[in-house]
Amino acid sequence: MTGLHEEITRLRLELRRGIVVLAVLSQMDTARYGYSLIQQLAEQGLDIEEGTLYPLLRRLEKQGLLESEWEVGESRPRKYYRISATGREVLSTLKADWFETVNVMQGMLDGDKKDE
Amino acid sequence: MNELVERYVHQVGRYLPQKERAEIEAELRSLIQDQLDDRYEGIPSQADVAAVLTELGEPRQMAASYGSEQYLVGPALYPYMMMILRRGLLIVPTIVAFLNGFEVLIAETQTTVWGLLLATVFGALQATFIFSGIVVMIFAIVQHSGADLEENKEPFNPLDLPKVDDPISVDRFEIAFGLVFGVFFTLVLLYFLRVGGLTLHLNLNDPGEVIPVPTSWLILLIVISVVSLIINLIVLRRNYWGPVLWLTETVLEVAGAVCLYFVLYQPIFERIVVAVPALADAPIPQSIVVISAVVTLVTHGIKLVQLTGGADRNRSAFTMKAGG
Repeated sequence: MTGLHEEITRLRLELRRGIVVLAVLSQMDTARYGYSLIQQLAEQGLDIEEGTLYPLLRRLEKQGLLESEWEVGESRPRKYYRISATGREVLSTLKADWFETVNVMQGMLDGDKKDE
Repeated sequence: MNELVERYVHQVGRYLPQKERAEIEAELRSLIQDQLDDRYEGIPSQADVAAVLTELGEPRQMAASYGSEQYLVGPALYPYMMMILRRGLLIVPTIVAFLNGFEVLIAETQTTVWGLLLATVFGALQATFIFSGIVVMIFAIVQHSGADLEENKEPFNPLDLPKVDDPISVDRFEIAFGLVFGVFFTLVLLYFLRVGGLTLHLNLNDPGEVIPVPTSWLILLIVISVVSLIINLIVLRRNYWGPVLWLTETVLEVAGAVCLYFVLYQPIFERIVVAVPALADAPIPQSIVVISAVVTLVTHGIKLVQLTGGADRNRSAFTMKAGG
């Protein structure tokens, strides 16, 4: 049974991978540092592990979708991320894709229910 | 800064690329501290810190998530590397075993069959390791040189796919590989001609002791090699084999096998008999030449039949159409 359990975990992770990118991009209009973003996402019901989010922020920055700046005025230096112009473009495309996909999948999965 | 946090950050840093290390470490420190401040009032206990670090996960995994795709050799190059490695794993041990055995035999000292076998196997193993290492290294360098491997790549067109088992289609990789090997082989033969016999010392001024070979056969073998090289070049250019070219290539290869008997097998065997007298009566060189000639004839013959048969099929299909 553990085999099936592991497989389900893996599939859920795969399903979430793209969603996490979309979620992060959607929250970056205001500059945020890693931990504040985790709390922000959690408040809205999306729990992301630190070990996933922190490297993701850096990758998105490397891809040019986010910009970053070190803020040294506070109690400790923090790296703040914000969405870039390219990131905004990508986000609007991904958003459109997302709504379309949700629409299609809704119909498909509801149809599933009717068949039963 | 908490000592346990510092230990964690340091471990993550060890696996990071040098130029990113300092910044990622600084960011991690700050983020871990944010989390600790948010969860625990005052100075967190060792157990509190441990709990937060456990959530972050193993340092090695954490560092891996920061890296982009980390390949020694990536998926675009991997199939080519494996193709060369597979080929090399067949050819390199054979050549080296041969050369090594040869070297042991022409050495002044007497040797036993076991000594010969041991030296041969060891030499082959060593050369295979070195060959594999160098191939992997070259591919790794290409991979990390930042060269755009997909440059100049034409869009995929299914109509260009070669037919399955089409005898006239040419494996360009195979031909190119054969050409490189052929050039090398010809150069070695020319060297033998220049120094007047077989030797492993590739030094024109000091070839060492040479095993004399009949010059006429050596010259014939060189001519055959050069003609074969030219044929392969033509095929590489026009990209298909025809019956005439294939027949010529077959004749050349069989003739080459016969030349090899006089130039290579027989002279070397005479040396082997000196070193290992027990083998004197075994018809080893004769067997080698017969086997190699027969194998060439059979494999090439099959393809020759396919080549001519294919042409007939096309012709009859054409006449049928014309008749109907």
